[in-house]
Amino acid sequence: MNWIFPTADSPHIKLQSRLLTLAAAFLFFDCLVLTFAPAVRLHEWTGTVRWQQWVAWLIWLVGFSLLYRGVNRFLPDRDPYLVPIVGLLSGWGLVTIFRLNPDLGFRQTIWFVLCIAGLLVGIRYPRLLPILRRYKYVWLTSVLVLTVLTLFLGTYPGGTGDGPGLWLQMFGVYLQPSELLKLALIIYLAAYLADSMPAHFRFMQLLAPTLVVAGASIAILIAQRDLGTASIFILLYCLIVYVASGKRRVLLISFFVIVAALVAGYLTFDVIRLRIEAWLNPWLDPSGRSYQIVQSLMAVANGGLFGRGLGLGSPGVVPVAQSDFIYSAIAEEAGLFGAVALLAVMAILTIRGIEIALHAPNQYQRFLAIGISTTFIVQAGLIIGGNIRLFPLTGVTLPFVSYGGSSLVTSFFSFLLLLMISNQAEDQPAAIERLRPYTLIGSLFLTGLFVIALFTGWWSLIRSSSLLARSDNPRRAISDTYVLRGEILDRNNVVLAESTGTPGDYVRTIEVPSLSATVGYSNPDYGQTGIEYSMDGYLRGVEGNSPTIVWWDHALYGQYPPGLNIRLSIDSMLQSKADALLAGRKGAIALMNAESGELLVVATAPTFNANDLQANWSTWMADTNAPLLNRVSQGQYPLGTGVTAFLYATALQTGLPPVPSDLSAVDLQDCAVSPGPAPDLANLVISGCPIATRLLASAIAPATQMSMISRLGFFAQPNLPIETAKATSLSAPFTSSTLVSPPSSWRISPLQLLIAASALSNNGHVPSPILVTAYQDPSKDWIAMPDLSALKTADMLNAPAATENLATTSFPGWETISHMIDGDHTVDWFIAGTTPEWKGAPLALVVVLEGGNPETTRSIGEEMFLSAVTPFGS
Amino acid sequence: MLPFLVFILRILAAIALFGFLGWALYTLWRDLRFQSEMVTTRKIPPISLSLASGSEDTRKTFTSTEVVIGRDSTSDFPLADETVSARHAKLSYRYLQWWVEDMQSTNGTFLNDERVETPTIIINGDEIRIGQIPILVEIQPFEQ
Repeated sequence: MNWIFPTADSPHIKLQSRLLTLAAAFLFFDCLVLTFAPAVRLHEWTGTVRWQQWVAWLIWLVGFSLLYRGVNRFLPDRDPYLVPIVGLLSGWGLVTIFRLNPDLGFRQTIWFVLCIAGLLVGIRYPRLLPILRRYKYVWLTSVLVLTVLTLFLGTYPGGTGDGPGLWLQMFGVYLQPSELLKLALIIYLAAYLADSMPAHFRFMQLLAPTLVVAGASIAILIAQRDLGTASIFILLYCLIVYVASGKRRVLLISFFVIVAALVAGYLTFDVIRLRIEAWLNPWLDPSGRSYQIVQSLMAVANGGLFGRGLGLGSPGVVPVAQSDFIYSAIAEEAGLFGAVALLAVMAILTIRGIEIALHAPNQYQRFLAIGISTTFIVQAGLIIGGNIRLFPLTGVTLPFVSYGGSSLVTSFFSFLLLLMISNQAEDQPAAIERLRPYTLIGSLFLTGLFVIALFTGWWSLIRSSSLLARSDNPRRAISDTYVLRGEILDRNNVVLAESTGTPGDYVRTIEVPSLSATVGYSNPDYGQTGIEYSMDGYLRGVEGNSPTIVWWDHALYGQYPPGLNIRLSIDSMLQSKADALLAGRKGAIALMNAESGELLVVATAPTFNANDLQANWSTWMADTNAPLLNRVSQGQYPLGTGVTAFLYATALQTGLPPVPSDLSAVDLQDCAVSPGPAPDLANLVISGCPIATRLLASAIAPATQMSMISRLGFFAQPNLPIETAKATSLSAPFTSSTLVSPPSSWRISPLQLLIAASALSNNGHVPSPILVTAYQDPSKDWIAMPDLSALKTADMLNAPAATENLATTSFPGWETISHMIDGDHTVDWFIAGTTPEWKGAPLALVVVLEGGNPETTRSIGEEMFLSAVTPFGS
Repeated sequence: MLPFLVFILRILAAIALFGFLGWALYTLWRDLRFQSEMVTTRKIPPISLSLASGSEDTRKTFTSTEVVIGRDSTSDFPLADETVSARHAKLSYRYLQWWVEDMQSTNGTFLNDERVETPTIIINGDEIRIGQIPILVEIQPFEQ
C-alpha cells in the first residue's frame, strides 16, 4: 500500500505512512466483516452481502492519499499525528454510518469529499491564519447573522417531525450555523485575546467585549433551544479565557457560572429537566423519557469486551444512533476494546493539540490551537459521557465520527487550522508566561477520557448481563427472528407453540391458542409471559447447552444457540375437552395428577389468543372480563364451603360431630345442591351445605383447623413457572368461626384449592405442582427437569376414609360443591378427586364458575372428571 | 466456515486498530524519552582554551557549563599575569551557545579585538584577549 501513502526518508513521513496504512487496513477488515455480516446472521450463505460501505472505503482511501501527498508538499513540518488520527476517526465514522444507514452514509460521503477538496485547496494558502485574525469581527458577525436567521427560517432535516429548527436549507443542502459559530467564536477569542492581552488592561475591561459577544451567541443558541451547543460555548469560553489569562480564579468563577447555568437551565427548560431526570433515574421510565439512554447502555452492554463485530450487533435500535449515539454503536460492535481505542486516539489528539499550542509561534495561534483541541475533546467528552450516563445527554456530535455535514465541515476546517499552526519549520515558540494552565487542562482532559473508559467498562463488563437480561432489551427478540426458538410440547409431544418461517423472519406461533394464558407469549413488542418467559433460558438455548456452545454462538453470531424443546405436563386432549366445557362461560378448570403434581389441564375462560396480540391488545386490556388473566393461577375467589371436605377429613381423625336429627328446611336451604332426604354428614359435605361447615368447625379445635389449612397450602403462593397470584392471609386471629364465615379479603386461587384437593386423593401428601417436565438436550435426549420440591404431609387428615365417604355411587370419585355470592355475581366451586379404589394415577379436579349455577358447575365438573378417568377411545 | 472467517477478520481489524494505536503511542513515548534525555543529560559541546603564544600543553578542555578565567589559582583557567584580574571573565553555555562575559575586570576582555561589554556568543576559532593574554577558543562540534 506504499504507493497510496508513499513513504520517504524522513521519520515523520514514515510514521504517517505507516499509521495511515494501518488505519486503511483496519477499515478494510471492518468493511469486509460488514460485507459478510448478513450471511453470518442468517447462519447460511444466501448470496446476500452488504457492499455500500466499500464506496466509503474507496473514497476515504483516495481522499486521504491525496491529502497525505498534499500536506507532504505544502505543510512539510506539520504535526505527524494529526492526519492519521483524523483519517482513522473520519473513516471509522463513515463506515459506522454506512453500517447504520446506507442512505445517510452516502450523504455523509458527499460531505466528506467536500471536506477533503476544501482541505486540498486550503493547505496551499498559509495566509489563511492571519486573514482569519484580521477579519475576526466579520466572520463572527456573519455567522451570528446566519444563526439568527435560523430563528425565522430554521428547518429540521428529519422532515416533518417537530425537531429543533437549527438548520438552514439551501438547494436541498442543510447547514447548521451553530456548528460554524463555535469555530468563529474560537477564532474571535484567540485573535482578540492575543491582540489585547499585552496592553495589560484591567482584567475585566479586557474581557468585557468577549463577554458581550459570547453572551450574545449563547443567548441566540438558548433562544434556539440548541442547549448542547450553548453548554459547549460556556465551557469553551471559560477554558480559553483561563488558558489565555493563566488566572486560576477564572476556573473558580467558571465552575460557579456552569453550576449556576445548570441550575437555571434545570428550572427554566423542560428539555434540560427531562434530560437531567433521565440521567439521574433512567430506570424509572425506560420506555419513555429515558428510552434513549437505556437503549444506549444496553448497546454498550451487548458489546462486551470484544464487540459483536460490525453488522452483527443491533445498534440501530438506539434512536439517532448515527449522530448522538455513534459511540454506543461503536461500543456495541467493536466492544470495550474498540471503545478504549477510540478514546485513546482522542487522547493522542488532545496531547498533540496541547503540544501544537505550546510550540505555536505567536499567542494568536497558540490560543487558536488550544481552542480547537479543547472543542474536539470537550465535545467528544460530553457526548460520549452522555451515551454512557456519565453526564446528562447533550445533543452534540462526536467530531469527525458522527453523522452531520456542518459538524464534519467545521471539524475538518478546525483540523486544517491545527495543521497550519503545527507547520513550524523552526522551533521558535512564543514565550509562555505560565505553563500551568496547559498542563492542567491537559491532565484534566486525559483524566476525563480515562473515567469515560472506566464507565464504558462498567456497563460493558460488570453490568452487562443484568442489562441484557432486561425484558425491554430488543436484541433478544431480534435474535429470536434469526435463531430457531425451542418448541413447547404437551405430554404426548403435541406441539403447543413453535417458531415458523425462514431465518431472519421467524415468528412465534401458539398452536393451541386456548393455552395462551399458560404458555404465554414471546413477542418483540409485548415482551414475554407464562412458560415462554420462565423457560426462556431453555427455549433460547442458553440453559441446557454447554457454556462453550453458548459462548461461541455469542462470539460468532452475537446470537443465542438454537433453542431446546421443552415438554409440559399438559394433556392437550383433556385440555381441549375442558376448553369446550368452558366455552361461553367465565371460570376455570384445573386437573392435576395428585401424586406427582403434574398439571394436566389448565383451562381458563374467557381467554385470549397469543397470535393476535397486535390486533386485540387494547381491547383485551380494557375488557372487564379480564381475558389476559389466567384464572387457574391468578384468579382468586372466596373459599365458601369449599373448605368443608377438608374439615370433614380432619374430623374423621379427631371425632365426627353428631348431626342433629331435627335438621329443618331452613338449615338445608343454603345448600349448593339439594342433599336429598335425611342426609348424613357426608351428604351435607358433598352438597355444599353451610350447616356441615358450622357443625364441623365447632367440633375441631381452632388450632387444628389452622394448622390443617396452612399445611394444605391455603396461605402459600404455589411455586409454578407461570404467573401465580400472591397468597392472601387472614387479617384477624383464627377462631372457631373463621372458616364458617371467612373474611372477604381471604381468597384462594383454583390452583391452591387443587393442591389441597390432591392431598385428599393422595393419602394426605401435598404434592408440588409441576408444569414443565423435561427438556430435549442438543443430542435430542429428553432430560427430566429436576424436582426441587419437598414432600409435605397433612397428617391430621384421614384422607382415605374421607374420600371413600364423600364418593357417590353415580360417580367414580369423591366430590363436593360450594355456592356463594361474591360481590355482584355468584361463584361455584366443584372439587373432586379419585378414591383409594382407583387403580390409575390419583387425580384431583377443581372447577370454578363465575355467575353460573351449582347444577351446571357440577355437571361440567363431573363430565370433565369422567373424561379424565375414562381411557380415550373406550 | 463463514462465521469463523468473519471472526478472523474481526481479529485482524482489531490487530490493525491496535497496531495503529500501539505504533502511535510507541513513537510518542520514544519522542518523550528522547526529549527528557535531552533535558537531563544536556550535551555540552566541549570548549578548549589554549594560550595563543604558548605551546600545546597549555590547552585545556572543559565540559562544564561555566568556565571562569582569572589570576586566582582557583579559577578554571588560571593566568599568571598582572593585566589579568583575579576573576576576569566567564564563559558559559546557555541557549545552545557558548557565551563570553566580562566580570568587571580592570583591563577588560576582548573578543577578536573588540571589547566585550555585554555577554557575547563565541564560536570555534575566536580569539579572546584577557588583559594582555590572547587565548584561542576551540569548540568541538555537537556530538549527535
